[in-house]
Parts: sequence; structure tokens; C-alpha cells
Amino acid sequence: MTVPAFSSERDLARRALDTARSRGATYSDVRFVRRQVEDAQVKNGALEMVDRTDTLGFSVRAITDGSWGFAASSVLTNAEADRIAALAVDVARASALTKISDVRLASVKPVTATYETAVEIDPWSLSFDDRLKLLFDADTAMRAQQPKLRTTRASYEIWREDKLFLSSEGADIAQRLTETGCSISAESVGDGEQQIRSYPASGGRNQNKAGWEFAQRWDLAGNAPRVADEAMALLTATQCPQDIRTTVILSANQVMLQTHESCGHPIEHDRALGTEAAFAGTSFLTADALGSYRYGSEIVNMRIDSTTPGGLGTFGFDDEGVPASKGWAVKDGIFVGYLMSRETAATIGRESNGTMRADGWSRLPIIRMTNVSLMPGNAGTLEDLIADTDDGIYMDTNRSWSIDDKRFNFQFGTQIGWLIKRGKRTEMVRNPTYTGITPEFWGSCDAICSKSEWSVWGTPNCGKGQPVQSGHTGHGAAPARFRKVRVGVVR
Amino acid sequence: MSGVLRGEKELRALADAAMKASTADETEVFLTARTNALTRYANAYIHQNVVSTEAGVRVRAVKGKRVALISTDRLDREGVEKAARDASELAALVPENPRFAGLVEPKPIASAPSAYDERTAEATPLDRARAVKRICDPARAKKLTAAGFVQTTAGEIAIANSKGVWAYSPRTSADMELVAIGDDGSAYADRASGDFASLDVAAAADEAIAKAVAAQHPRDLEPATYEVVLEPYAVEDIVSFLAQELTGQAVEEGRSFVGGKIGEKVTGPITLVDDPFDPQARPMPFDYEGHPASRVTLIENGVARALVYDSQTAARMNATNTGHALPPNPFMSVSPMHVRLEPGDKTREELIRGVKRGLLVTRFHYTRWVHQLRTIVTGMTREGTFLIENAEITHPVKNLRFTQSYADALGGTLGIGRELRLESGFGGGSRRIPALRLAEFTFTGATRY
Repeated sequence: MTVPAFSSERDLARRALDTARSRGATYSDVRFVRRQVEDAQVKNGALEMVDRTDTLGFSVRAITDGSWGFAASSVLTNAEADRIAALAVDVARASALTKISDVRLASVKPVTATYETAVEIDPWSLSFDDRLKLLFDADTAMRAQQPKLRTTRASYEIWREDKLFLSSEGADIAQRLTETGCSISAESVGDGEQQIRSYPASGGRNQNKAGWEFAQRWDLAGNAPRVADEAMALLTATQCPQDIRTTVILSANQVMLQTHESCGHPIEHDRALGTEAAFAGTSFLTADALGSYRYGSEIVNMRIDSTTPGGLGTFGFDDEGVPASKGWAVKDGIFVGYLMSRETAATIGRESNGTMRADGWSRLPIIRMTNVSLMPGNAGTLEDLIADTDDGIYMDTNRSWSIDDKRFNFQFGTQIGWLIKRGKRTEMVRNPTYTGITPEFWGSCDAICSKSEWSVWGTPNCGKGQPVQSGHTGHGAAPARFRKVRVGVVR
Repeated sequence: MSGVLRGEKELRALADAAMKASTADETEVFLTARTNALTRYANAYIHQNVVSTEAGVRVRAVKGKRVALISTDRLDREGVEKAARDASELAALVPENPRFAGLVEPKPIASAPSAYDERTAEATPLDRARAVKRICDPARAKKLTAAGFVQTTAGEIAIANSKGVWAYSPRTSADMELVAIGDDGSAYADRASGDFASLDVAAAADEAIAKAVAAQHPRDLEPATYEVVLEPYAVEDIVSFLAQELTGQAVEEGRSFVGGKIGEKVTGPITLVDDPFDPQARPMPFDYEGHPASRVTLIENGVARALVYDSQTAARMNATNTGHALPPNPFMSVSPMHVRLEPGDKTREELIRGVKRGLLVTRFHYTRWVHQLRTIVTGMTREGTFLIENAEITHPVKNLRFTQSYADALGGTLGIGRELRLESGFGGGSRRIPALRLAEFTFTGATRY
């Protein structure tokens, strides 16, 4: 067992709970979080940056006079534990100035427990050189394949979070969560075009709750020549057809982001209740839609599962001490479940499904996607699906993403596309985009690839909350086909 | 000075301790301490209310061409010394970066107006809650609800390096935003300031509430190319996207619309200046490497004039460091942080009066590059979109998606507002932005509300 003992932190946490109680809190919890991160990036053949971060602090969340307060600090002393606990209570009392009704929390059984991510190769146990080799090998392979690339990048992140949660209800939970992520990208410039190809996912990284085996699995160096070739080929590729309606097949990593944006966010119960209205927005999946709204076609099944192996939303307990759980967001195309907190679950008479997570010690837990996944269908492999498609476009790896604040109207662009003619992937096209309205789009989904094509992707940079927090969310996805999609909206 | 700050003397002592503990050839120490307090409300009550006391230590150690970064939040002697030792050890392990040009040399830093206000540093949870109440009560009186935040921040940053750089700045800010929400329509307003007392919460509430009342029951409108009047909130998005392309790094990476076009016309008759000394824009006279920041005219009457640089891109591109470094990160090392779109001579009403048929857009939402080099962006309108017909606002319309080159849109600038709105910007900076009237803006889709 490698979960830390947290001896001194537990003493401070108990002290803070006592202080909060004595100041008038009717509920309080304390979280200690130590986060260690190493980011490395090789750019154009040289180590551009290596950054190791080690942070540790604590926060107190309290209900007083029926309202919430929160305070946090990185100073770990008895006096600071007292100050922060008292401040959380004072903040709660100030919140009560505008109170409409008292906060109610759905019940949860307080437990004493530990949990840690299962890893095969602890990334922190490797030598720094071993980790860097993965990047240099891939970067070198891209540049050797296509010397005219303007920019090449290869990066990894290893991430470890040790967390202690104590509540005034008696919970005492310690967890160690480990993540590994990696990415390569090749950028080309010429003739008024700038193009990018990245692997295994878009922009940032593909990341999992896993050890170094996750970085090895993607064979970055082996894929580097293809990525480099495609980036250069895109400069002279044909522009994606403009403003047509056609069949679209999305790659698994694009289905991942489509799921994140058009299902994961609208099923956040805080959005549906209006408490994210000013920033992230609200949701078209309002309370009256629960259990009856047709979200997608009958083959669309979206799972909420914080036990999915490897998922960035996989843990033992959320930041309210609620255990990991499995359930459905969309079953046979019907919207059936929200991502909930103890507070939001109480508003509809349910128990929390454990989705409250904070970005480190200094931020308030908020509702977060855990692992929201499109479950596999029976369309076979990607090549089977293309072979089954007479005419359309295959689009791969996100480049641009935008969706309205109720999550209806979206527009996505991918890095690359190929025309499909008579069941064959044919000509490469550049700057592909597609747009639609969420329930219409998922309603047009008529094929999802089988389990062999399904994998768990990770988004380590989901922004939400004020002050803004960066969340780590997981999404299982397989390639899928959508009919009569509006394609090509670049002016 | 407020008790929330450590003060220049203490931070300098910590920076000195770190540099003394370092075994690297060159060492840079970046220290931050701040208290951030944010009171968040929705459905017209406070639902999230936080105060966070945060600290940051980042040591960049350089051995020859080997560079390593260590970051921690242990802002005490033991913490900074450990960070320096760890950075030195890591720098010995990493491969050389032949492009690394060394840490910056010390240069005199000009004085700038203070960006610190004692009363803001001492604002209490009750002060913020009262401001929220000042917003929610009048909203309720108009049968609206309200969502947003009121925030105060007090902090300090210090940068030192072993070549003799020392830069220190205590800073405060106060920000608020508000969406006034009715049964079938909403409207947005925000305000930003360096001091809480001058944060005009009441004016923002009046603005959003009046507009929300007018925004009820929006009608469908066919997506097409329309003339537009953009409120400063929407213009800020355009400035934000274009400003990040006006850097040496963006040109070096081949993604900037001004690459190879300095001295050429790149957009319409607008002037963009980065002015770190603007007293209205929470000034900061140095960048995140401790190099003096300079005022740079980026675009003058539509002509690309200059780029901003940090030390590394300036060295690689044989340019002068303008003092616009961000904290080290792998994707963006340099940015304008105090951009001002110079004002014109029109009132908001005069801008609207010039439009025969077009749209008034309050705010953009979820904007993303579609084609960076061509500055094509997609996004949605949000919280206050209205049809203008024959110089009058006639009715609200449902939100629209646009897909539009921002530089091309500015090419059709027909009018510039005379009032500048301060908006919080990237990298702790600020932007001052007017309303604009643009001849053409292409909307490519619609949503259901």
C-alpha cells in the first residue's frame, strides 16, 4: 500500500473540523491535497521545458446558517487550520445574506477507507532519461520523415495526487491517484495554410489514470512518420466540401470530444439547475426531460462510470466522500441520469452518484464529469464501418470545438478528413468542419463500432467554475456514423 | 501595507535564499502570494463563496544550456531553498537546449502607476455579499433572476535572477459579472477595476437588468452576413484572439496573420496598443522574466507595426525584447498583456443609429479557432442579441453561430465607440476596449433560444 499515512495532516484536519463546529458550522469537511506533476516537452529537436511541480495545501468547506463557505491555504500550522476553519464559517455567514433556503445534502454513509490507482509501471520509478527517450525518439522520427515541418512537439505528463478527506459526519478517506499522458504533434506551414496533425489525440494530451504503460502503449515513435506525412500532405490537400449535408464517420478520439461537449456537460446537474448560468452556461436537459427526453437514436447509450479502468474520472471516492458508482446518462437514446452532488441530488430526492471534484487543494469541489462514455455498438471495426458507407467523409482528431451555452448548437473541426466513396476511404481533405444540434445529431447516429474499437480517452484540461478549475475527465468511445450532417462551414 | 501581503523585503530575502541555495550557473526565482476571494451567485443567491490564500515558488535553474523548472507552494525559507536545490539537480540531468539564450540581464524598470489598493485587499466576505445583494434585489424587482460573481484579489509578484534582476509589484483587482435572466431571455454585464470601491456594481446591474427586460421572447433570425454593432464584451474576444497572434512566437511558428506583413495593411482603421503603463489598466512595468515592459503599437490604423517579444523569441529572431514574457509554459511564452483598442468618437447610440439592418451583439461564447492563420473563429452570440432596423433596436433574436475571420471583420470597421471598458485579460493583464460597428459579420447557424 502506497497511500500516504497523512498523520500530521489528519491532526490538522480534525482540529479544523473542531474549530468549524465550535464556530457554528452544522456541517464541515476538510481536504488535504498534495499534487506532484512533471511535464516535459521536446520541441523541434530540443528539450523545450521540464517542469516539476509539488504543491500541498488544505481547504475547509462549511455550512453555517444554512449557507456554504469555503477557505483554503497552503500554510500547514495549527494556527492556520484554526484561521481557515473560522474563515470558512465567516464566509458561510456572509453567504446567508442572500439565502433563499437552507442547503440540504443527500445522505452518504461516512466511511474510513483508502484507494489507489492501479498502475503497472510507476512513472515516478523510472529514470528521467527513460521518460525523455520516449519524446526524443518520436520527435526525431517526425523530423527525419519530414524535415520541412515548421514545428514538432512531443510531450508527456506524469501526475500524482494524494488526498485526505475528513468530514464532520465521520468520513476519513485517503487516496493516491496516478495519471500518465502523452502526445506528439507536427505542424506545417505553406501557401497560406497552417496545418497540424497530432497523436494519439488532439491539442493537449491523451491521458489516463494509469502508469507509464499508458505512454508506451501508443507507440509514439512508430506513429511519428505517419503523423509527419499527414501534416505535410494537408498543405496541398483539397479543401473539405463546403456547406453540404452528407454522412460523417468520426474517429474514436473525435467521438470522445463530441461526447464530452454534447453529453457530458449538459448532464451536469448544476448546469441544469442554473448555478453555472453566468459562465459555463445551463443545459437543454432540464429536470422535466429526465427519464423521457429522446437524446439520441436507440443505439446511443451513454454511461456514467467512475470505476472504468484507466478513466481520468476513476477514483475510490469523490471530494464529498461519495463512493465511485456506475449508472446511465442515456439509455437506448433516452436521457435518464445526471452527474450529481449531494446538494443537487437532494433537490430531486436522489442520492449523489459521486461526481464532485476539485482542482487541487485551493478550489471548491464542483460537479465534474467522471467517465462519460458512448458505449460500443456492433458495427465492427472502423474499416468495416467505412466499407458499409456508400458516400461520406471520415473525420479524424479534433482541431476546433465550440458549442452554445445550453449545449444545443455545436461546430467542430477536425485535423484531417478523407472522402468515402463506395465503401472506400479515398481523397484526403483539409479543414473539415461539421455542425449540428445535439439531439438531432445523436438522433442521426446509425452505427457505432464494436468493442474492439472502443478505448478510454482522457481530457486533462476541462475548464469549469469560477475561479476557473481544470478538470480531468474520461470518455470511452469508438468510431461512429452520423447521417445528413451539415459539413463545411469555413468561409 | 495590508497583512495579506508578505511585502517586498520578505520576498526579496526569500529570493536571495533560493539563489544562494542554487548550484546552477544561472538561477531565476519567481514568487507569488495572493488572497483570492470570489463570491458566486446564481438563482439570485450566493451558492459558492471562497477565499483562498495561495503562494507560488518557481525556480528556473540553468547549467550551460541545460534548463529545468521546479514549482512549489512552500513560500518559506525551507521551501524556496529546496526548490532551488531540486532545480539545480534536475538541470544537471536534462539534455542541452541549444536554443536557450540565457536569463535576462538587469535593466532599469520605469515606475508605473500603482496597481495596489489597500481597501480592496481588506474587502471582507460581507462586503462582497452586500455587492451581490445590490445586484440580486433589483433583478428580483423586475421578475428576473441573476447569476455571476463578485471577486477581489490582493497579491504580489516578485522576480529575481542571479544576474541581478529584481522586480516587485503588489497588485489588487476587483471584478464582477452578471447575467440577468428572465423566463425567455437574458443579458450580460461586467466590470473590472483595480480597486473595489470604484467597481460600479450598480451600473452593471442597471445595464444588464434593463437589457434583460428588452431581451425577452427572442425571435428566429436567418443566419446570414449582417452589419453588426458589438458591445465591448464581444469586441474583447476579437482583440484577445488577434493579440495572441501579434507576438514574435506566433510569427516564428507560422501561425500569425501578420507574419511577413509588418508595415502592411492587415485590417481596418483600428489602432491596437499594448500599454503596460496605462493607469486605467492595472499597470505592470515588467514582465514575468523581470524585464522592463515597453509600450508597443501593434497595429496603427490597420497597418501592422510591431510585435511583442520575450527574451527567448527575441534572441532567436534577432529582435529587441519588449518585456512581454509570460510565465514559462510550453505553448505560449509571450503575449501582450495590456492591450488597448484606441477609442473613436462615437457614442453607443450613434453606432446603432448608423445601422440600416443589422445586429447588436452583447457577448460571444465559446469561441475557438477554425483557421488560425486566416484568423477564422467560430462561436455563439450570448445574452443579449438584438435586431437593428432603420437605426432602432427592434426586437431580440435567438442566438446565432458565427464563423468569421476576425481580421477581415475589423477590415470593415465603420465606427468606434468613444468609451473604453476595462476587461480582465490574459496573464493577469487587462484590456481596454470600445464598442465597434462593423460592416459585415457572417453568421452560419442558429440555436433554439
